[in-house]
Amino acid sequence: MMNVRDRILSQIKVNKPSSLALNEIPVFMGDDSLTNFKKNLESISGQPIEVNSTNEVESIVNQLFPSAKKIASSIIPGTVSIDTSSDLVSLEQVEVAVLRGEFGVAENGAIWLPESNMINRSLPFIAQYLVLVLKKNDMVMNMHKAYERCRPGNYGSFIAGPSKTADIEQSLVIGAHGARSLTVILD
Amino acid sequence: MNVGLFIPCYIDQFYPQVGIATLELLEKMGCNVGYPLKQTCCGQPMANSGCEQDSIAAYQHFVKNFSSYDYIVTPSGSCAYHVKKHYNIIEQTLEVKNVRERTFEFVHFLTDILKVKEIPGSFPHQVGLHQSCHGQRGLKLSNASEITPVKDGEALRLLRTIKDIRITELDRNDECCGFGGTFCVTEEAVSSRMGTDRVADHIKNKTEVLTGGDMSCLMHLDGIIKRQKLPIKVMHIAEILNGNSITK
Amino acid sequence: MSVNHASSANTFNRDFDRTTWHDESLWFVRQKRDKAVFSVSEFQQLREVASNIKEHTLSSLDHYLIEFEQNALSNGVHVHWAANAQEHNQIILDILKQNKATRIVKSKSMLTEECHLNPFLKENGFDVVDTDLGERIIQFRNEPPSHIVMPAIHLKKEDVGKTFHEHLGTPANEKDPQRLTEAARQHLREKFVAAEVAITGVNFAIAETGSVVVCTNEGNADLGVTFAKVHIACMGIEKIIPKWQHLGVFTRVLARSATGQPITTYTSHFTKPRDGNEMHIVILDNGRTQQLGREDFRNSLKCIRCAACMNTCPVFRRSGGHSYGFTVPGPIGSILSPNLDLKKYSALPFASTLCGSCSDVCPVKIDIHVQLYKWRQIISKENALPISKRWSMKLLSTVLSRHGLYNLAGKIARFTLRWMPHSITHNTLLNSWAKSRELPHPPKESFGTWYQKNKLK
Repeated sequence: MMNVRDRILSQIKVNKPSSLALNEIPVFMGDDSLTNFKKNLESISGQPIEVNSTNEVESIVNQLFPSAKKIASSIIPGTVSIDTSSDLVSLEQVEVAVLRGEFGVAENGAIWLPESNMINRSLPFIAQYLVLVLKKNDMVMNMHKAYERCRPGNYGSFIAGPSKTADIEQSLVIGAHGARSLTVILD
Repeated sequence: MNVGLFIPCYIDQFYPQVGIATLELLEKMGCNVGYPLKQTCCGQPMANSGCEQDSIAAYQHFVKNFSSYDYIVTPSGSCAYHVKKHYNIIEQTLEVKNVRERTFEFVHFLTDILKVKEIPGSFPHQVGLHQSCHGQRGLKLSNASEITPVKDGEALRLLRTIKDIRITELDRNDECCGFGGTFCVTEEAVSSRMGTDRVADHIKNKTEVLTGGDMSCLMHLDGIIKRQKLPIKVMHIAEILNGNSITK
Repeated sequence: MSVNHASSANTFNRDFDRTTWHDESLWFVRQKRDKAVFSVSEFQQLREVASNIKEHTLSSLDHYLIEFEQNALSNGVHVHWAANAQEHNQIILDILKQNKATRIVKSKSMLTEECHLNPFLKENGFDVVDTDLGERIIQFRNEPPSHIVMPAIHLKKEDVGKTFHEHLGTPANEKDPQRLTEAARQHLREKFVAAEVAITGVNFAIAETGSVVVCTNEGNADLGVTFAKVHIACMGIEKIIPKWQHLGVFTRVLARSATGQPITTYTSHFTKPRDGNEMHIVILDNGRTQQLGREDFRNSLKCIRCAACMNTCPVFRRSGGHSYGFTVPGPIGSILSPNLDLKKYSALPFASTLCGSCSDVCPVKIDIHVQLYKWRQIISKENALPISKRWSMKLLSTVLSRHGLYNLAGKIARFTLRWMPHSITHNTLLNSWAKSRELPHPPKESFGTWYQKNKLK
């Protein structure tokens, strides 16, 4: 007797239309400038800050979050140490996470964050505030270029602005369950 | 050019002046217009209600009445669309194919076949143009707001050439009026509400004369205007293009 | 029992101002969509490309599902197949039992709504916490979603305030969306960190890599999945796309069409579970292979659930999602549902004016209004039409194909309208046209009569 899987597959075989060609995706160009990225990031409630060197990240973070006691980072000396095996209590208490974004997407302000840059899978989502540090020249124009550049790995996410919702009467509220703000430091 | 005039059932019965305006304008443009006396209906009301099979007799009847003309012209985007799009379920004889290809919505016929570029005369009123869905999205006679923000279309362009006319800028340029054939009675609540909202948009934006290419939509909107005693006069676009003045 | 859309819509419309509010809320989303779409010059081309990818995939769906399964398995993911809702729910129940889970979170998944997973698990002693804000609101209220992207769009902030006061202890009369959202945040973050199993839907499943992509704005899918030891992703067979590269197309059209955002806040790609954790993917048929076999309707399976057709539909905006009585309401739901139960959902393809806005707005170019028309034909053929309608159409057919009869009928109608008292012709019991519309004022003669008198002399 056929199992469920084989039954589904054989029904598809019987019912599917005759083979249809898959066309090449045309090349779509766009503006990959830093200016365009910043404009789009701001439109989705992210805050871009340009610096001259990575050394400035720490002081910027301190200025932005003067009272933060629990900062986890792979870039600056944090005040809490988080790793892949951190328990949920320490993760839950993180106030600011400062992580390296792989590259930015100019057309929508999204930033690719693979698991390898997250320290811990939960960190970018559970931290109250998220800071992503991004190289100024690491921009792609659009999502087509973005998917040429990134690979699935184990887990990875495009992050485009802070956590948000409009589920109550279409009113935009920033800080739904995840990060209450997203600062992008461009070094 | 021999033109067969198709006057949809509700225009024939309720709005003869629209048929007359269409006929007069076509004749002014030099067409030799014939009106087959035995014509009835394109069959759309039944087909849209799911009874396409029952409308086959009406389709055959339509083809029989109109197959001898060079063009078939009707002051209804909806009927023209139905003939072109849905007469695919009967045998595609040469006659049927010809009829489907040569059936034109009235304004479309003026601009595309007769190459009319402008309309003489003056119409010193603010005119609101109702984009009927079958003309707009079905026959692609005007831009759809889902596809482009540019508002353009054949009827709009012709109207703009009339002296002293003002065209209403609507909040929602092409929302459906809610007529929808039998929908207007089977879904009475939504249909009326849609019509009410459409009319309110025209009132808000100062329409004096509401026009369009489909009398069915206009009949529904006029019904609401009259019930609510609103200061809008409804005229089919053929009447305006023919130079008719507002009747009381 | 059959869904009676007209009757529900009638009830909905009794509150004029609330209907206005509902219509305007959704029209606002449509406007945001327009702005986002028109800012991409190649958007119409993207629709074409997206449609082609989906159509191609459907034509080789078995092949891509096998490829997807193989890759997922080699990623260490468990793959399950379910023929129907019951099997789907049982698979999930078994996983929960094996893991002795009691704390379960779920991000938004219309598929689990379609399968009525929550009530099933509840009957079996498992409580699921929906973590999307809108879903949590309606879960508290014990209501189905009224929209697939904004499940609580039918509720006002006062309604939400009242619900949260009862369930989360927010102050009575609190109706500020910011403060209500904050209350939900506190409540749900406790649930996230404690979760043992996280259930998610799937926006896209990539055959080439075995990955599933989940898109959210709140981050609730990631919060759930990254804390829980077990992730269960539920998908219909039609969620497959062939290649990683194809995500470039779909991520450009999905959020723009859905909410007018250039992309969702979180577009997350789940390929392998964390060391020591489990990831399961449940692949569901539930009528989809049958729909695939319906030539006229198979391309409804291209749908990416953006809900743009709901937001643009003038009927949906003025009747509300609940009036459709189906998990996926609105135009797309009205062409999906008759496949599952023709009798029950026979009213839905008629809950449309066939205006075609849905087809023009659809990012994967599903010819929704054409399919609505085609379902109508099938419904009438299968005798699923109400008897009164069937007979009136037969009669109309006879009248319209015989000129003599047609002429006589017209004369009677005109005569009736002219000479009968207004109170009779406009009696709303007899004539639902006249409830809020005047009938046309009948002329003395028809065009045909005028023509004969004036042109054939």
